Amino acid sequence: MNVALLTALWRQRFMSPMRMVFLLMLFAFPLLPLIVSPAMGFTTLQDARGLTLIFAVGMIGQDVSSGVLQLLFARPVRRADYVLSRWIAVSIAAAVLAVAQLFAASVILTARGAAPDSTAVGLMMAQRIVEVVQLSAVFALLSALVNGMGDLGLWFLAQLTGGVLAVIAQWKHWPWLGRVGDEIGRIVTPVVNLAGVTSDLAGLAPLATALSITTLALVLAILLVNRKELSYASASG
Amino acid sequence: MADGIVIEDLSKSYRRGFVGERVQALGGVSLRIAPGEIFGIIGPNGAGKTTLIGCLLGFLRPDAGRIAIDGKAPDDLAVRAATGYLPERLVLDRWMSGLEFLAYHHALARLPAATRREECAQALERVGLDSAAGHRAIRGYSRGMLQRIGLAQALLGHPRYVFLDEPASGVDPAGVVLFRKLLADLKGSGVTVLLNSHQLEQVERVCDRVAFVKGGKVEAIETLDAGAAHARGLRVRWAATGAVDDSALREAAARAGAAFVEAGRTASGGGSARFVAADDGVAAQLLRALVEVGVPVVEAAPEESRLERLFLAAAPGARSAAPAPTPPPAASAAAESPAAPVSDPARFRPPGQEGGGP
Repeated sequence: MNVALLTALWRQRFMSPMRMVFLLMLFAFPLLPLIVSPAMGFTTLQDARGLTLIFAVGMIGQDVSSGVLQLLFARPVRRADYVLSRWIAVSIAAAVLAVAQLFAASVILTARGAAPDSTAVGLMMAQRIVEVVQLSAVFALLSALVNGMGDLGLWFLAQLTGGVLAVIAQWKHWPWLGRVGDEIGRIVTPVVNLAGVTSDLAGLAPLATALSITTLALVLAILLVNRKELSYASASG
Repeated sequence: MADGIVIEDLSKSYRRGFVGERVQALGGVSLRIAPGEIFGIIGPNGAGKTTLIGCLLGFLRPDAGRIAIDGKAPDDLAVRAATGYLPERLVLDRWMSGLEFLAYHHALARLPAATRREECAQALERVGLDSAAGHRAIRGYSRGMLQRIGLAQALLGHPRYVFLDEPASGVDPAGVVLFRKLLADLKGSGVTVLLNSHQLEQVERVCDRVAFVKGGKVEAIETLDAGAAHARGLRVRWAATGAVDDSALREAAARAGAAFVEAGRTASGGGSARFVAADDGVAAQLLRALVEVGVPVVEAAPEESRLERLFLAAAPGARSAAPAPTPPPAASAAAESPAAPVSDPARFRPPGQEGGGP
């Protein structure tokens, strides 16, 4: 892990007005209904996908398309370190905000006389962290595949593909295709249920799945970045 | 112990588009660059110069051949820690200030944090940027300032190898002088510099040797030396108002400390002669001496430098695109002189016959 790369990504993200506007919307807006109607509980918070996207989109592809990677890789930085540092930076930033949002929601609910169960809040926080970590890794892979913010397009395309496959599977009565569609959806939009983690060994399955997807995505991202040639030479000689 | 840069039979090709034909960018390039040498690469656009630098930095994977820097692969972290690089198309993290950018690269270069602030300030000063510029966001920098801050980052941590791709591009005259001084400092410190530039006069002034690259191959390697690098041919034409014999031309050359090369006469009685002057001052003295010995000078024009002649002779069509040579102040009545063939064959050898370095 390279601390300079970590802090550079955070500063870059927090200095981007567009990302900050989205961050404010996605962080604050879901909390507003709780002030008015505490009975809604955590239902308005949904998941941490949006918060993750704010930091993850273009995490590698933007560096490739802008051209800053050339100066960076002229330094004694392993490409694997670069990928892992980007992933860790995105994961930490998104996870902190995802947890902070839940914490803020808990404070609001408590103040409004509808204090949530602390165990449930803790479990939700853990689920959000796992989801953030997996989605960040998936974006590291997508961002290594395409330049700029093309990873966002790929992500939507993958979701769409999963949905279309599910519809075809239903229409043609091909359950195997339905499972393929479901798997694609599960990979690109992680939904982790850790409710059974403490009960038995089988409850660990969602966590193991998330970790394996994360590992696979990161390995593929590192392979892709390692194979990437950095050049404008073909254009200029 | 530095071993210098060894490139053996390096080849690299690209595919044009996804399914297009393959384009050979480098075809069997072999070079040896000695430690402490300032080595220039010149050639027309698309010759493969930047591809060569890309391979040397480990950005591109060669199809064949070998590169060793200090005996190690170019993507070895130890090599990168000893390397500074200024790319041709400089893209910086524009949201950072100049000093933040230098501090970021200081950290990436694994240089000690304790000296970061001090060394970054020194680097900024070294390239002629003041503290106020250092605190400004890079997005507000001019082209010349960008080039300077890029050069500052390339020199962070006193690298032993520096790769400069068009370093003086977009820089004002003061910046060009500064750049030349920095290169002299680097040479004095034993740093090995690889310089890719279209500014032939700059290359000729600072480089020990120059490779001419064309079509992905090293066509020639020119050895330069500091004394000869500034010497310029001067062609002087006189009017048909009186006879001028060679002895007068020789005498004027001797008075000025220049060398008389040859003279020719026209049927109308006029003529022209070629001289070699060590520098602009000698050229000015030569013109004065020619007038004093009675030569009715009507025109004096600098000839192209050796590199310009080499470049123009080997790159057909480049003449119209090439910048006109800068005339010495004393010979301001210049018109472009005709291209002379590449002279001095003893100093100009094909790459296979060149030595290991100066």
